Amino acid sequence: MSSSSSNPGVRQRLLYLHARTPSVFSDILGYTPVEPVRDYRAEITADVSDWPYNTVHDALVDGWQIVQFPHLQAPIDDRDLDVVGYEFILQKLEEVRDG
Amino acid sequence: MDKNQLQAESRAESLPADAERRENGTDMSHLLTDLEMVEFIVNGYHLLELDLPEGLNERMAGQLDGLDYNPGDAIAEVVPDLWQVIEHPAVKSALASLLGEDYEVMGHRHWHCKQPHTGHMSWHQDSTNSRDTRIDRLLGLFYPTDITPEMGPTIIVPGTQFRNAPTDRMATYTNIRGQVPMVLKAGTFALTHYDLWHGTAANRTPVKRHMIKFLFRRVRDNKAPTWNHDPDVMNVPTAWGGKREDPKNVLSFGNPIGVGQSDHYKERQIRWKCWNNLLGVADAADA
Repeated sequence: MSSSSSNPGVRQRLLYLHARTPSVFSDILGYTPVEPVRDYRAEITADVSDWPYNTVHDALVDGWQIVQFPHLQAPIDDRDLDVVGYEFILQKLEEVRDG
Repeated sequence: MDKNQLQAESRAESLPADAERRENGTDMSHLLTDLEMVEFIVNGYHLLELDLPEGLNERMAGQLDGLDYNPGDAIAEVVPDLWQVIEHPAVKSALASLLGEDYEVMGHRHWHCKQPHTGHMSWHQDSTNSRDTRIDRLLGLFYPTDITPEMGPTIIVPGTQFRNAPTDRMATYTNIRGQVPMVLKAGTFALTHYDLWHGTAANRTPVKRHMIKFLFRRVRDNKAPTWNHDPDVMNVPTAWGGKREDPKNVLSFGNPIGVGQSDHYKERQIRWKCWNNLLGVADAADA
């Protein structure tokens, strides 16, 4: 792992998108960006500004790549509820600097 | 702490004074309506703005500001004005509506002091998820000061109380569409389903944010409704595709965070089962 801002290089930006259905065209219910910079923390906020993407497809158009597709929920029991939405994990490999 | 622990703790530590205080001067004039009940079933929370005596909120907040240790379960002994909160007629009536007239004020309570300039708290539940279709345990969250978005408010996700989602499964979520920050007036008491997803935002101010958490539980199943119930409330046509805001349609079609169709169908079944259980219908079946 690079140890200072003097060593920028390409890093992996991550985006956790929780979509309404397993389709990339469905609306996003959860949005968590993870920036590969020192001391960065994704956090819950009281004021939620508009997200840049409404769907996973919007993110694909913007150059994000899916690195994990959602595991389908409730494959047998169609009565139980578990997590909110279907999790897509996306990445962008870009040159990023700390601070 | 799991449910059994909580029950054991309650048996061991509930103060006898709890029951005495509740029985003295009971005023149940603020029982919830059918609409408020179904909104709780759908959303998992209910807010009460209490008309406390003038100066009481400020006095409690001042005492909390001055505390240099956390008394844990003894917070109501250290700040005895808190008894006026859980004995307020609106609080007692809401609890009786949701948990039955002989609900228990459990011995566990906690002062959550969000210190100045501290970070957020991730989504979590306070214990394992009971994953049932009932309303048996409630959290009561009391805020003696105004809470602004910058003060690190509690944030909840409406409708998540019936999900089998252990806290670790929530770790990759931050903001969720439809989440509700508890940005409130001083003297607000928030009742939430025990399993409702909740967290806090960061406190970006130089002041402490106070919240006192209480815990309540049902002690027996309902044999009849314990709220202000109209027996004919559900005898109305279902407004398929409509937006009529009556209890039947809120219960059937409410979708506070816009989940997908499969989840929504499952939620609907759970809600009707919960409603029937509250009505006291023996062996409540799926609707």
